[in-house]
Amino acid sequence: MSAVWRAARAAVKRRRLQTCVIGLVVLCSTTTVLLGLALLTAASAPFDGAFSHQRGAHTVAAFDLTKASRPQLAQTARRPGVQAAAGPFGQAVLEMPEDWLWMSAGSLSVVGRADPDGPVDRIRLLEGRWATAPGEIVVSWPVDGTPGPGRLGTRLKARGAPTLTVVGFATSMSKSAGAWVSPEQIDQLRPATAQMLYRFTDAATDQQLRTGLTTATAGLPAGSLTTAQSYLTIKRAFAAQADAYLPFMTLFGVLGLLVSVLIVGNVVSGAVVSGHRHIGVLKSLGFTPNQVVAVYLTMVSVPAVIGCVIGTLIGNAVAAPLLRVAFSGIETGSASIGIGWWPSVLCLVGMPALVVVAALIPAVRAHRLSAAQAITAGSAPRTGRGLRAQRRLGGTRLPRPVSLGLGQPFARPGRSLLTMAAIVLGVATVTLTTGLTSTMVAYGNAGKGDGTARVDVQSGSPAAGRTASELSDRQIEQRLRSLPGADRVTARALTKVRLAGYTQTVFANFYRGDTQDLASEIVKGRWPAGAGEAAAGPAFLSQHGLSVGDRVTVQLNGKQTPVTIVGELMEGNAQALDSNWRTLARLDSTMQAAEYTVRLARDADARRYITAVEATDPALRPALRRSDDTATTTVVGFASVFTVLLTVVAALGVFNTVLLNIRERRRDLGMLKSIGMTPRQVMTMTVSSVAALGLAGGLLGIPLGIVAHRLVVDHVGVISFPESMKQVWHLPQLAALIVAGVTIAVLGALIPARSAARLTIAEVLHNE
Amino acid sequence: MTTDLDNRPPRTVVRLDDVRKEYGDATALDGVCLEIRAGEAVAVMGPSGCGKSTLLNMVAGLDRPSSGTVQVHGQDLGALNETGLALFRRRHIGMIFQFFNLIDDLPALDNVALAAQLTGASARQARRRALELLDELGIADRKDTYPAALSGGERQRVAVARALMNRPALLLADEPTGALDSRSGEQVMDLLIDLNQIGQTLLIVTHDPHLATRCAGRLIEVADGRVARESTLEPAA
Repeated sequence: MSAVWRAARAAVKRRRLQTCVIGLVVLCSTTTVLLGLALLTAASAPFDGAFSHQRGAHTVAAFDLTKASRPQLAQTARRPGVQAAAGPFGQAVLEMPEDWLWMSAGSLSVVGRADPDGPVDRIRLLEGRWATAPGEIVVSWPVDGTPGPGRLGTRLKARGAPTLTVVGFATSMSKSAGAWVSPEQIDQLRPATAQMLYRFTDAATDQQLRTGLTTATAGLPAGSLTTAQSYLTIKRAFAAQADAYLPFMTLFGVLGLLVSVLIVGNVVSGAVVSGHRHIGVLKSLGFTPNQVVAVYLTMVSVPAVIGCVIGTLIGNAVAAPLLRVAFSGIETGSASIGIGWWPSVLCLVGMPALVVVAALIPAVRAHRLSAAQAITAGSAPRTGRGLRAQRRLGGTRLPRPVSLGLGQPFARPGRSLLTMAAIVLGVATVTLTTGLTSTMVAYGNAGKGDGTARVDVQSGSPAAGRTASELSDRQIEQRLRSLPGADRVTARALTKVRLAGYTQTVFANFYRGDTQDLASEIVKGRWPAGAGEAAAGPAFLSQHGLSVGDRVTVQLNGKQTPVTIVGELMEGNAQALDSNWRTLARLDSTMQAAEYTVRLARDADARRYITAVEATDPALRPALRRSDDTATTTVVGFASVFTVLLTVVAALGVFNTVLLNIRERRRDLGMLKSIGMTPRQVMTMTVSSVAALGLAGGLLGIPLGIVAHRLVVDHVGVISFPESMKQVWHLPQLAALIVAGVTIAVLGALIPARSAARLTIAEVLHNE
Repeated sequence: MTTDLDNRPPRTVVRLDDVRKEYGDATALDGVCLEIRAGEAVAVMGPSGCGKSTLLNMVAGLDRPSSGTVQVHGQDLGALNETGLALFRRRHIGMIFQFFNLIDDLPALDNVALAAQLTGASARQARRRALELLDELGIADRKDTYPAALSGGERQRVAVARALMNRPALLLADEPTGALDSRSGEQVMDLLIDLNQIGQTLLIVTHDPHLATRCAGRLIEVADGRVARESTLEPAA
């Protein structure tokens, strides 16, 4: 084996440039693939891990205590199909009249539990301690991290309930409650319902969960089950943010993998083919065919392994901050968002394996070659290939260096096709990114109207520690309208409501005034102008199984009203719906607007308007609205990273192809220079040899990119892009994209072309 | 033969003054002085590694001397950059090699036409001139044949035609018969003699005394990078 190792080491040392190219290609490819895999796994794996760790409830069910007794509910734990159960726990809904802690006024679901542990839903205490006595409450902290000990001791005053002191913050992956109190405290709140937490033996699908619950509750009186919340819904909500990015991340991952396979295959097989002479020498020295194969596999494996390891390290380093951006703002609970171990292992094993497989095919060919054939393989004159093309090109009016270059790809059609395929995918990526950027920029600008400034004005709230305004809601709106510079004013009330049949509370926005900007975000149906009408984003609709035209019952403070979904917003919070003041009047006629949005006139000075608002009433807090382009930034950021990586990989593929061609044509180049081809003409010829591939790659890659763009924008779960945002292609843009293929090709060819131009003729021609 | 000698080159076509060429510690040429006049046929001989190929490279502008000057057709080659040298070679120097150095992808006609096309001549003009040359060299019937299908002698004839394409003032030949059988070798020698007889200046580098004595009027023997001896040869029979 030492002879093989020595020969391979010598080959690596002798072919430093080629070794570097293999290493770089594998490095970039590994980073690309790892990033794709990281996002794919991060979308579900952390939830599964944390949910399993807490023995999360597959179903959180609430039962009407007037219809089913606690012993009857306890019996359900022993029904077939129930793997484990916890409860019954008393459950009450508190109405919080004002903003509290970080949350707005509305319903708060409270459950009485003696401790956070148990066979199901082992709640994780983040801060403080568990509520053990009446008057104590533990509040759910749904997002990553902890609120810190500073907020412990906060006193909560709910309507019709005793004051409760916050003694702890906890998180439940089952989202079983908004807060927990002791069993004694819940009894004092006179709970109307009881909560049961179930884990079922079969819980992979919604259907299995429905069957499990039906079996478990079969013996209970009819109508006793009031609500049931599936963990699959929570899981979908968890992944909703990542789902927005998944379609294009998947596509980029697949593109990266394809380009990597093509380029690695091309680079490695090229390395073996160009080494045929060396193979002949090895065989003539007495290396067996298997040893020759081993030498070549070792030769390409060394840079591949190094490139793969470095690529994996870079991929891990880049993935962490990218994932943080992708999951920012999501209710992660105790799930930690990070890159799992298996994408790294897969890359570390898979990429070198891919390289070895790519090398194996030409290496096996070398295995079969006789020593004499192998030695002459590099120098024997070629026949047949591309001759007709060269001949025809020679008769055209093109400058001879250009026509010579254009004919070169026909001499090695296989290599040329692989190179072109990489360029096609590179251009498709650039096209996809360009389209996505245009769509996302249009999306980011949506609702910004004609670009005039918007000022958000919040009225004071004692619960938030601020002085209340002395003006009434209507007076505030009137004042804001009357101030110089105001064009349109929209008032908004925000509260938590419940939807009949759903356990999770929902945020409801009720608007009044000028709603043109909001109406412009409707992609299906219309803006809810009438009483009992609402609109919501695609995430809300899909997670609640609703669509335009469906009716739900909205409950607030003991009142309820039917609401029809009349419109779908382009995007929106998965837990929020939008309605109007007339609908709010049916639920709570006393509620006041908490925020006003003022669209200023075109020439108005925003700073002057804000000063005027502050002078009107110090309790009003105006702020110029900053555009929130997180989604745009994230998508464009991800896309840019992938585009750079894939473009570099494609350009490296071209670089390698040109390098191999130059090596094979050294003698021709020397001769051409000897008869007067200038360095510039050599450059022109070399660059022309791939520019045509680049042009063809551009022409093929653009339609592919356009199709990919359409696929992505049609499958972003949390955003429904209107058709106007999908139609982003214009002629000048497409013309520029064709140039992208040529640019990738020229960039890859430039360095080897310069080296070709500098080739020492005397050395080449006299070393034959 | 239509070699263009109307532009009256200076009497001295090649002049080397005290040319030295060093590759690291090794000295390939050591103070070589040489003059070749228009219409002369000069052979350079010497053992392997003596510096004769380096000498040819200096004259062709393929390599630069470490010191000394090389003038060809009145032009100091040291004053030209790479592009200038390429343009100079294109116009004034033709080269033929031991291994022909034809482009495998092009048929004989296009290999010859290539030299003219690089100067900007149209494909049509270049092919017409190339065909004339191939005809004069007796291989016009092989114009559409690719190098792989040509015999050694035919390949060298194509190479000669290519070298003559731009009517060079100086034709350099590096072991022109080294890769040929004796019959093909003789044919190439006859061709070189014919060319010289119509005024083409020749500089031939060879190991073969027979080639030197048949084709050249003057013999320069090189040893250890120096001109060891110069002698005049009898005109070929």
